Amino acid sequence: MISEQAKQQIDTWVAKYPAGYQSSAVMEALKIVQAENDGSLTSELIQAVADYLEMPVISAHEVATFYENYNHKPVGKHVIRFCHNISCMLNGADDLISYLETKTGVKTGEVSEDGLVSVKKVECLGACVGAPMFQIGDQYYENLTPQKIDEILDGLQ
Amino acid sequence: MVDIEIEIDGNVVHGHSGESIISIADREGIDIPRFCYHKKLSVAANCRMCLVDVEGNPKPQPACSTPASAGMRVHTNNEKAKASQKAVMEFLLINHPLDCPICDQGGECELQDVAMEYGSDVSKFNEGKRIVADKGIGALIQTDMTRCIHCTRCVRFGAEVAGIVEMGATGRGEELKIEPFLSEGIQSELSGNMIDVCPVGALTSKPFRYEVRSWQMSSVQSVARHDLVGSNVFTQTHKGKVKRVVARDNESVNETWISDRDRFSYEGLANENRALTPKIKVKGEWQEVSWETALEAAISGIKKNSAEAFGALASKNATLEELYLLQKLTRELGSENLDTRLDVANPSSASALETTISLTGLEAVDHALIINSYLRLEQPMINHRIRKATLQGAKVSTVNAKAFDFNYRVASSVLSAPQNTVVTLSGVLKVLLESNSQALPDYLKGTKVNQAQIDIANALSAAENGVVVLGEQVSSNPCADQVAKLVEQIAKASNAKTLNASATGNTLSAEKVSFKPNGGLNAKQMFDADLNAFVLLDVYPAFDCVDSAAAIENLSRDDAFVVALNSFEDASVLSFADVILPLASFYETSGTHINIENVAQSYSASVKAAGDSKPGWKVLKVLADLLELPGFDYTDSSQVADDALSLSPSLAATEVDIIAMEVPNIATVWQYTPYASDVLTRHSQSLQQTQIGQVSEATVSEATAKILELSQGDCYKGVPVNINETVAEGCVFVHTNQARQR
Ligand code: SF4
Ligand code: FES
Ligand code: FES
Repeated sequence: MISEQAKQQIDTWVAKYPAGYQSSAVMEALKIVQAENDGSLTSELIQAVADYLEMPVISAHEVATFYENYNHKPVGKHVIRFCHNISCMLNGADDLISYLETKTGVKTGEVSEDGLVSVKKVECLGACVGAPMFQIGDQYYENLTPQKIDEILDGLQ
Repeated sequence: MVDIEIEIDGNVVHGHSGESIISIADREGIDIPRFCYHKKLSVAANCRMCLVDVEGNPKPQPACSTPASAGMRVHTNNEKAKASQKAVMEFLLINHPLDCPICDQGGECELQDVAMEYGSDVSKFNEGKRIVADKGIGALIQTDMTRCIHCTRCVRFGAEVAGIVEMGATGRGEELKIEPFLSEGIQSELSGNMIDVCPVGALTSKPFRYEVRSWQMSSVQSVARHDLVGSNVFTQTHKGKVKRVVARDNESVNETWISDRDRFSYEGLANENRALTPKIKVKGEWQEVSWETALEAAISGIKKNSAEAFGALASKNATLEELYLLQKLTRELGSENLDTRLDVANPSSASALETTISLTGLEAVDHALIINSYLRLEQPMINHRIRKATLQGAKVSTVNAKAFDFNYRVASSVLSAPQNTVVTLSGVLKVLLESNSQALPDYLKGTKVNQAQIDIANALSAAENGVVVLGEQVSSNPCADQVAKLVEQIAKASNAKTLNASATGNTLSAEKVSFKPNGGLNAKQMFDADLNAFVLLDVYPAFDCVDSAAAIENLSRDDAFVVALNSFEDASVLSFADVILPLASFYETSGTHINIENVAQSYSASVKAAGDSKPGWKVLKVLADLLELPGFDYTDSSQVADDALSLSPSLAATEVDIIAMEVPNIATVWQYTPYASDVLTRHSQSLQQTQIGQVSEATVSEATAKILELSQGDCYKGVPVNINETVAEGCVFVHTNQARQR
């Protein structure tokens, strides 16, 4: 289920913690395994990570469902992670999310037909000064407006 | 720990420094509302219901996680505290469905009670409430997760007490849900306690769903007699029926927990298979008759035969009173043929091994050696105490025919088929004696020792507080008495305590009244002899006897007259018996259970016996009277108990020689699932539907399977074969809910 290469990567994280605390590496392990599976996790993969780190599967599942970084459905090439927490919400995030949905034809939680984009609502990304904002890959896009969203979308390929 | 003084609501109270405010308040009888706090679980402090005002603190503090310090002044009901309590209560009710009229928790719900005391009478909340879909988590626990208030008691119970982390908090914020991973069902043998710890109606008893409102039931104190602990319970009854069984606190016996077997077995009482009317067999046909006629038939059959040809067999789960009266009846008749050890391969057996440790004492051990036992399923509450010891650092090693799934880490395990167990333990003993520079007895002189045995011996002798536990699988071993002897010697050589869990139920009552032959025939010998009259006390040979086919064959002889006192109807009993006397089952009779600490716990009947059935002690008393035997003028079961408890059985030390016995090359270890361990559990539908209850497999190693010419999926003694390497070579480990077959 988990490739040898991924196991090696996980092991480097396990090595950072004292012996017997291998489950501390669960967040990284889930991330590595998710990356290997085109950006999303499955129950089987979570089980495999839990088994590999010798921890109760429900505990791995708790982590995987708590953090927005993990996806539980297939995602597009670019995941637009739209913040809908307090600062962004007060600054009109909800309207912009609807705008984004109409514009791309992709509902939150779904993937566009060409597999290029998917939209996900996430909690505060720590960029409240630039609210409303979203994240694509490693890049933050702040002070969003409909025009700005159009430009960003045009740039995606 | 320093004794400190603090002030709560103006009262000066005492505690030790570091103790939480809530625990001091509880001891002093001062009410502080709470949801997440539970005295037996870690502190989560997530519900905030316990907020109190601590002078000098600008904000209210959670009483469950705030340690008391000397001179602290706490207010649980001033304006500030009340405002916080009201606010938290309002917050908790935002998403609660308030479906109390159809909730089984209604009337015994902490949320209801606390809302009543501390809540507001109007809701300001007009928005939509959140709804959580239910996944279904097995046959025992009903979930209504929309009612959950996320206190995480159930999650902590799994992680801290049951030792199997099954429930978890997934998602976050408004999406937070308490659920198991997938819906594969809960697997713990202690799962029902989650129902008790859940403060709301999110987790309730599934068999009890919509049966009756909680306040309509009466609670009767009782004792569960499925295992060696005798957990204290309340039976909750309505209109003469047991509707539910819940835990009753008794710190030295079961703390505040009970096993699922103790909690749900009562369901069998209402099973349609109960024996409800006296019957006699006339010319091969069963006829329902009055008690008088049936008893008449019974005594005339018994009287026809000589005393030497009379035998009595009883269930290990019978009450002390029943066992006492049946042995007295048998002995007054002049017979010494009596036994409860129906399932042991060798009736000279392991019963002689003494238990020298208490239940609470188990928590203090630093090493436990578990022999021939799947202790977690055999004796859940004893295993729980050992698990507590492991949390304090105790190590566990095992000598078993199979690698079992314990809820703690097993440091070292030796796989040993029954025929090799004597050799394995002899090796351990030899190492111990040699390291003590003690003289070796002759039987150890030729013993060879391997590394595994050295490891076990070293671990035991390094322990300051060791215990050696002998479990019920030893009963399949023809050399059980030798194994028990070796356990005793090993414990002596390593200064360890012993715990004899080789026979379960109310076995210690049978020992107390010497329900075993003193010069007469034991169970096995009775089935080899041609006795002419039997009294069976709640015995179901198809399940209970080690060689069930031989037993049934012997009882079916034309010249064998069988009186069966049974609580359930059973096809094989119907085939061989001549008289059936319907017997009151668990909770339908008063009685006494003697537990592993030799504590006799008496209980009264919770409900009237079903149908025309009667408590065993009354039936046996009347039988004895009709047989004109002296000394049976009892009017109350407590008089019987007094007589029984005044006995002091002679512990005649029997000599056991450790010798290489003729044993089969391939042995069978037969163990029932915990939910097939006695007749009542076998009739509890819900227990049968659990993962633990459904197991039926004969595990065998690849090499042994080849010798036996078995392949995966074949049947071995009627049980599907599973080939893997978790089991010792040279034996088949059968774990099943099916009756024994040859
Ligand atoms: S199910 Fe009950 S015990 Fe578990 S978290 Fe919810 S309210 Fe607490
Ligand atoms: S609320 Fe959106 S970044 Fe903080
Ligand atoms: S009981 Fe103290 S926070 Fe829940």
